[in-house]
Amino acid sequence: MSAPKTTRKKMTKAEKNEAIWGLAFVAPTMIGLIVLNFYPIFYTVYQSFCKTGNFGIGNVFVGFDNYSKVLQSGEFWGSLVNTFKYAIIEVPFSVVFALILAVFLNRKIAFRGGYRTIFFLPMVAAPAAVAMVWKFLYNQKFGLLNHLFGTDIAWVSDSRVAWIAIAIIGVWSIVGYNMILFISGLQEIPHDYYEAADIDGATGISQFFYITIPLLSPTLFFILQTRIIGALQVFDLIYMVMDNTNQALKSVQTVVYLFYDYAFTKANRGYGAAIVMVMLVIILGITKLLQASEKKWVFYN
Amino acid sequence: MKKSKRFMALALTGAMAMSLAACGGGSSDSNSGGNSSAGGSDVIEVKIWDNTQLKGLQEIADLWTEQSGIKVNIQVVTWDDYWTLLEAGASGGEMPDVFWMHSNNVQMYMEADKLLDLTDYISKSEVTDLSNYYEGITTLYSMDGKQYAVPKDHDTIALLYNKAIFDKAGVAYPTDDWTWDDYYEAGKKITEAGNGEYYGAVMNTSNDQDGYWNIIYDYGGCVITEDHKKSGWDDPNTKKAFEFIGKLCSDVFCSQAMVAENGTDVLFNNQMAGMITQGSWMINTFYQDDHRDQYGWALLPYYDANGNGQADEGERCTMYNGLGWAASSDTKNPDACWSLIEWFTSKDMQLKQAELGVTMAGYKGCSDAFANAFEGMDISAFLRMEEEGTLVFRPYSKYTSRWDTYRPALVEVWNDPSTADKVLDALAAEMNEALANE
Repeated sequence: MSAPKTTRKKMTKAEKNEAIWGLAFVAPTMIGLIVLNFYPIFYTVYQSFCKTGNFGIGNVFVGFDNYSKVLQSGEFWGSLVNTFKYAIIEVPFSVVFALILAVFLNRKIAFRGGYRTIFFLPMVAAPAAVAMVWKFLYNQKFGLLNHLFGTDIAWVSDSRVAWIAIAIIGVWSIVGYNMILFISGLQEIPHDYYEAADIDGATGISQFFYITIPLLSPTLFFILQTRIIGALQVFDLIYMVMDNTNQALKSVQTVVYLFYDYAFTKANRGYGAAIVMVMLVIILGITKLLQASEKKWVFYN
Repeated sequence: MKKSKRFMALALTGAMAMSLAACGGGSSDSNSGGNSSAGGSDVIEVKIWDNTQLKGLQEIADLWTEQSGIKVNIQVVTWDDYWTLLEAGASGGEMPDVFWMHSNNVQMYMEADKLLDLTDYISKSEVTDLSNYYEGITTLYSMDGKQYAVPKDHDTIALLYNKAIFDKAGVAYPTDDWTWDDYYEAGKKITEAGNGEYYGAVMNTSNDQDGYWNIIYDYGGCVITEDHKKSGWDDPNTKKAFEFIGKLCSDVFCSQAMVAENGTDVLFNNQMAGMITQGSWMINTFYQDDHRDQYGWALLPYYDANGNGQADEGERCTMYNGLGWAASSDTKNPDACWSLIEWFTSKDMQLKQAELGVTMAGYKGCSDAFANAFEGMDISAFLRMEEEGTLVFRPYSKYTSRWDTYRPALVEVWNDPSTADKVLDALAAEMNEALANE
């Protein structure tokens, strides 16, 4: 294992062969990443420093102009608050519901597979179709929800409830996916622990909190991290459900929606790029915090 | 824990596969929308944004295919997506071969050389003579003596009303003598009679060209000055028009939230609105509705500025606009593209387009054919708007989409008309800044 520098320079034929094959195997992924991810990322960074011309021609370098405009705009900060409001509902509820469902559906109950399929179904449906169906359900005049409850709530047009209504769609869409991840985490907790706990006389509830949760913490961490990032990037729901003349749009539009609006609708790519770059930094910061907290509560055995 | 890692790996691979599939979907979509490079001359890709015109246009295109042997594949995307896709296509060199152009965006595309220069084709053509088309539309699609598109159609605005609702409320139907005040009075009566079940009229902040813009110009206001350099939102006459629009919002229209959630056409077809203003490109939507026997078209009301009791020049305005058939400058097959555009805009096919009720023609003299296309429905109001009203070309500038922000902004006025002054001043400032940067 203690490989001196000299031996590293000279590879045997077999090692070379292995290296070439290794590269060949990662090439499809690497090429995909470079073309589809890395190039756009660097191009976005470049654009964020430009007053962009039409059709990607005639970009003028303007330094931090776009950034200072973004940071001084109330619109951006408002959207950031909206984004966090969405995440604060979507992440905790989708995780807690998913965990509860996973615990129940991990037991031997009738139609288990059927239930799992039903809860996972929203994940398979196209997000745009999901949003359209919810839009009909939420419709104040003709919608099913107001019909059922006998209410007259403007679910997506009243700024006081619209952000919750949108987040509910988010929770509904993602809960099945989280549930499947939790089930896989549950299935590898050895049964011995529960048997031992049973013998010691532990109740189901304390088993859940003292065995299940700690042993599930790696899965929980993974889900939390990916969901927080996902929720902060929400766009499609808002785009599909909220008409651009919806009076509640301002209190629901997220940062990525704002980015789309500027970069594509108003053809101001530079400003749009600066918006997503600021968002990138914020997400990076949150991820860093999460990673730092990992040691404190995530239990790898 | 090994199993967990394996699962994570699986999950991640799954996620990646999904995102790749999404990319695949996207790119195959753009391929079919772009030049069919592989087939070369076999297929011409056409993109449009109006689904109601697809059937008629495909029929016309198929006639061309019979002669040329080249297939025409027409794709429809929504208005918003159309411009996003077209711009992305123009940036990446993957535009459709033949497509529609609009006054909002054409200058941008002409300046960037993204449209095929049709000047030589037109001068050689035995079919196309630009003097046969509506002049405002022809000049719209030209720059520096070059022609980049040939007029496909033109459109005007008229008033659509539901007789059943007028009867229920006991109000007389709209007539050609109506002023906007008559419209207000009748609308108010119906809204009061409807008591939340139906309304005299509905209009959203997105009904600009087919709605309140006409009122603004009737009142002598404007959206953009004639030199396309300054905003007209803060023009005193525009504000005067908004005082009137504010009255409509308070006493006649349903709530803005309701019209934004449903759309004026849906509310109208669901028997919840007595009147809406509509563009001629929407006739088919109402012609094909189950309740069409109850529907009638009338001239847009006018504003009697000089108080002489009749509609004079400039008192009954109708927005007018026209699309153009354009081709991509980097198409693999410019000759076939031109041949198709020549076909679409030829006299016979323009007549056919009118006869099929697709839209009013860009070629002059097809109006009667269009009027006769809708058996059992009198749509002559659109043609009379042209003869008796004042045609005002749809406001545009080089980068129209940059000051296209009034739809969300005006929501505040719809909800609280007393904010009109403040909102209009803010809109004007924003628009003037955008125009100064053009």
